[in-house]
Amino acid sequence: MMFNALFKKLMNRGEDSKEVAKKRLKFALVYDKLEIKDEMLEDLQRDLMEVISRYFEIDRKQMSLDIERAEGTSALILNTPILAARHKKPQQNNPPA
Amino acid sequence: MEGKIVVVTSGKGGVGKTTVTASLGAALALQGKRVAVVDMDIGLRNLDVVMGLENRIIFNIVDVVQGKCKLKQATIKDRRINNLYLIPASQSDEKDTIKPENMKWLCNKLKKEFDFTLLDCPAGIEQGFKNSIEAADEAIVVCMPEISSVRDADRVIGLLYSRSITPKLIVNRIIPKMVERGDMLSHQDVVDVLSIELLGLVETDENIVVSANTGLPVVMQKDSKAGKSFIEIAMRMNGHPDLPIEDPTAPRSLWKKLSGKISRKSKVQIS
Ligand SMILES: Nc1ncnc2c1ncn2[C@@H]1O[C@H](COP(=O)(O)OP(=O)(O)OP(=O)(O)O)[C@@H](O)[C@H]1O
Ligand SMILES: [Mg+2]
Repeated sequence: MMFNALFKKLMNRGEDSKEVAKKRLKFALVYDKLEIKDEMLEDLQRDLMEVISRYFEIDRKQMSLDIERAEGTSALILNTPILAARHKKPQQNNPPA
Repeated sequence: MEGKIVVVTSGKGGVGKTTVTASLGAALALQGKRVAVVDMDIGLRNLDVVMGLENRIIFNIVDVVQGKCKLKQATIKDRRINNLYLIPASQSDEKDTIKPENMKWLCNKLKKEFDFTLLDCPAGIEQGFKNSIEAADEAIVVCMPEISSVRDADRVIGLLYSRSITPKLIVNRIIPKMVERGDMLSHQDVVDVLSIELLGLVETDENIVVSANTGLPVVMQKDSKAGKSFIEIAMRMNGHPDLPIEDPTAPRSLWKKLSGKISRKSKVQIS
């Protein structure tokens, strides 16, 4: 929605068409890069699983990661049942010096 | 009754396929038809920006054929023109992600929803072209009055015939002054060489550039010659096949002819 409102504002100012073109172009380039591939989601899910497992016992098979897309916004939805919390302070991978 | 699948193709790149698809789509919808325009240029989409719908893309054609969303979810409704819809290409997938059998399935669904489905074919004669002609009922070949464009058009026409599709021709980017001067092939020359039916003639028109800048269809611009040509082409596709084709190079008045001659002379003298 935000994109649209902004876009309309830009369109209605009666400016040169090339100015409109430049602004549209900038949006389009950002937009194009929002496309997400399946492999990337799978990688992200694996990484997230690893981090979450340090804090919680989770059922790895039931975890799901999805992109919910709507006009103007995209949301990353992570869903995982928690079996138990790990109460010990998690081991730091990179302990501060 | 089922709608028609019309592929817009050219062989050579940059001759106006996307412009033609967007303009005819808009014109047909303005004439009351239900129209879908489909960007078949996977990985290099552009129909969305030409139509001014680039910021509304959520799903794309690859998502549809891979079952990640319903056809309806990937279909963007144009808010300015009733009954006009865009199915965008994906920008991140490989050219051969879609297979001809996917297109058969998709076009079968589209035919039930839309009177006209226009497929904006990518340049070349590879996978994207093969996908685009797989389920096409009709074809429009776009070509410029220029040697390499006409030659590539001829190749594509041959490929279409071999699929039992009889294409029609749009000659785009005519510059009347150059044709009159004898420095550009006339549309008659092009038709003579290609010997296919002519569907329309479109001049080089600055309004097309402005229209691409703003994303506003050229057929909605008041004094655009190209816009007028597209409206008439759409009428020919839409129940008026015999609507006469105006020749943009036809001498409009004696005065114009004369002044053209005079300015040509003075040019020669200067140089
Ligand atoms: N009649 C015309 N007058 C002026 N400019 C035009 C005309 N037709 C097309 N153009 C311009 O020519 C360029 C190429 O047009 P377009 O993108 O429609 O070609 P294409 O065949 O789809 O290209 P590609 O093969 O890359 O997909 C664009 O900048 C477009 O604005
Ligand atoms: Mg194109």
